[in-house]
Amino acid sequence: MIGVILKISARNVWRQKKRSFLLAGAIAFGMFVITAINGLTGGVVDNIRVNFSHALGGHVFISGSEYLDRGTIVYRIADDEKLLTALQQNGESIAAVTRRSQAMPSLIFGSRQAMQLVYGVDFQQEDKLLGSLVVTGGSLKDVTNEQLIILPRSVAERLGVEAGETILMRLDTVTGQRNVGEFVVVALIEDQERYGISAAYVNRGYLNTLVGLGLEDYQALNLFLTDMEQADALGQSFRAALGVPEPKRLAEVQDMDDEEAMAAMFGFTRASEVEPWEGIKYQVTTINQIMEPVEAAVNALKTIGLAIFIILLVITMVGITNTFRMIMIERTKEIGTMRAFGMQRGVVRNVFLMEALLLSAGGALAGLIAYGLAAFILGRISWDTVPAMQFFLDQGRITFTASFREITFNTSLILAMGLLAAYFPAKAAAKLSPVKAMSSNL
Amino acid sequence: MRKHKALLVLLILACCWTAAAAEKDMSIIEDILRKVDEQSSFPETDLSAVLTMIIEDPEEGLEKIVVRHFRRDDGERFLLLIEEPRTQRGQGYLLEGDNLWFYDPSSRKFAHTSLKESFQGTDARNADFSQWSYSSSYKVVDYTEDVLGNFSVYVVDLEAVDDTVPYPYAKLWITKDSNLVLRTQEFSLNKRLMRSGLFPSYTKVGDGVIPTQMIFIDELVEGKKTQISLSEISTAKLPDNVFTKAFLERANR
Repeated sequence: MIGVILKISARNVWRQKKRSFLLAGAIAFGMFVITAINGLTGGVVDNIRVNFSHALGGHVFISGSEYLDRGTIVYRIADDEKLLTALQQNGESIAAVTRRSQAMPSLIFGSRQAMQLVYGVDFQQEDKLLGSLVVTGGSLKDVTNEQLIILPRSVAERLGVEAGETILMRLDTVTGQRNVGEFVVVALIEDQERYGISAAYVNRGYLNTLVGLGLEDYQALNLFLTDMEQADALGQSFRAALGVPEPKRLAEVQDMDDEEAMAAMFGFTRASEVEPWEGIKYQVTTINQIMEPVEAAVNALKTIGLAIFIILLVITMVGITNTFRMIMIERTKEIGTMRAFGMQRGVVRNVFLMEALLLSAGGALAGLIAYGLAAFILGRISWDTVPAMQFFLDQGRITFTASFREITFNTSLILAMGLLAAYFPAKAAAKLSPVKAMSSNL
Repeated sequence: MRKHKALLVLLILACCWTAAAAEKDMSIIEDILRKVDEQSSFPETDLSAVLTMIIEDPEEGLEKIVVRHFRRDDGERFLLLIEEPRTQRGQGYLLEGDNLWFYDPSSRKFAHTSLKESFQGTDARNADFSQWSYSSSYKVVDYTEDVLGNFSVYVVDLEAVDDTVPYPYAKLWITKDSNLVLRTQEFSLNKRLMRSGLFPSYTKVGDGVIPTQMIFIDELVEGKKTQISLSEISTAKLPDNVFTKAFLERANR
């Protein structure tokens, strides 16, 4: 029987090509919009996560601090035995390990100065970092000069410095003494300040000598994982091994002030609440914690997208309901004839519902095909000439990542709403009396 | 052969005598440093003054900050209350022994800060408003005698005894007759000149002396300097509640 219903329904849909095309087109448009929003936001989140991880040097970040007798807090991991043991225990999940130092110095060029976060990195070890930076001036081909600095473009503009020129760096050692370094600007890179990362990069060894650390010392150990999805689990494992309490999530700190929220989320101790401690106090942060605000913004965008999608569907539903009412009126005699030949009421209703299902499924499929085509075409275009967008892109290209779960949900929603829209006209059609229907003048 | 041996012994003796003669007596300078510290401290009385700071910044232009300064060396306390400009009015610093607090009336919060930090982005450090402690923070490495303007001075090279001071190396020009510091140079850990200080005028206050004019020059940023003038200097006893957080909070009401 289903085969007969399917055949009659398909014939009816095909019979009114223009009308079917318009209805399915409206559904396809809705499906295309919601899938495109999901795909684009999904791709953007993935790209930001990857670019963040390269800029920050890992997926899991472990830093340490010591409390000296006279009350000075020194940020360094000097005795890393405990950390290395934890590293060994989780070796299988770790693809690469990077060690970094950092400082917040004042960069000076002539009479201008600017405060800037500076990471000390091992450029030979962090080859992926160089690949992720978008160079707008100078070059990253030769990074062998010990006193080189890679500078965000906005900072270079503030200082009035260009690639090849020498700047001064005024900074404090880990115990708070003043020091000065000279750096040659080798490259200017696109700034990521608006996304929370604005960092200059220098050689770790030279930065260490300036901040009073040994050449091989480091302040943060960053882990690249074999599977980024494991970031939270690995973070938990390291926290357990290093005696670090679990941090609070973004949703749990909504009522706290900024300082308190940062302390609760990232394990920083409030300056006014510092108590002396012995040994190294570790902090373990994952890329997911850092991405939480970005994901919250993207989720808000997705919710708006879903709301627009549902509004589009409701409008289309009204269209489908009206169309099926019209179809019912047009086919009154035909329904009467079929009922006279013995077709049951349920079959008449199911023919109508199957038509709605075919239209919805066809529209959804067309929307998905249109999304696939758009994703393919847009994904082939290189956006290298738009530096401000680079942080959202994968090596200059837009990527779309719509999840199977989202596509299934949206398709189910379309089918369900299509069926709902056709249900009442279908029910009315099924209730028609064969005699009255056949004698109808319509 | 004997002649050669005798000559060698004489030569060694001569070298030792020259080296001994060349070794300077640093204790003289150490005494002078102690005097410098002593005459700039007020253990028996309180000290209050109004500081007018003129900051010359090639980027920001000229800026004026007026600060009321209360100091009690017995207990290592000071309180700085900003009166001008209006946008910073009510901000203040309170030193209680080892703890230095910064108070911002807009957030009504105290934040921990350090004597090593610069004061409000000027070329002065928070420590410049406390009593001097050259003799305990630095050891004398070398000195020479020179003339600065009309004054005969000792030019003293200092090295920090530990890392509690921001500048690991310093050079002072101290007058021979009155132990006044006329000029300072402060150097980074890798011995680069970072800041110069000029103290062209002093005034006698009670048993001590304090500079009434200080000029701090940033040696890294071209054209940046801060000039500080002291006025309304008094050694009158201050109420104990001046050196409290509550005073800073109340000062803004």
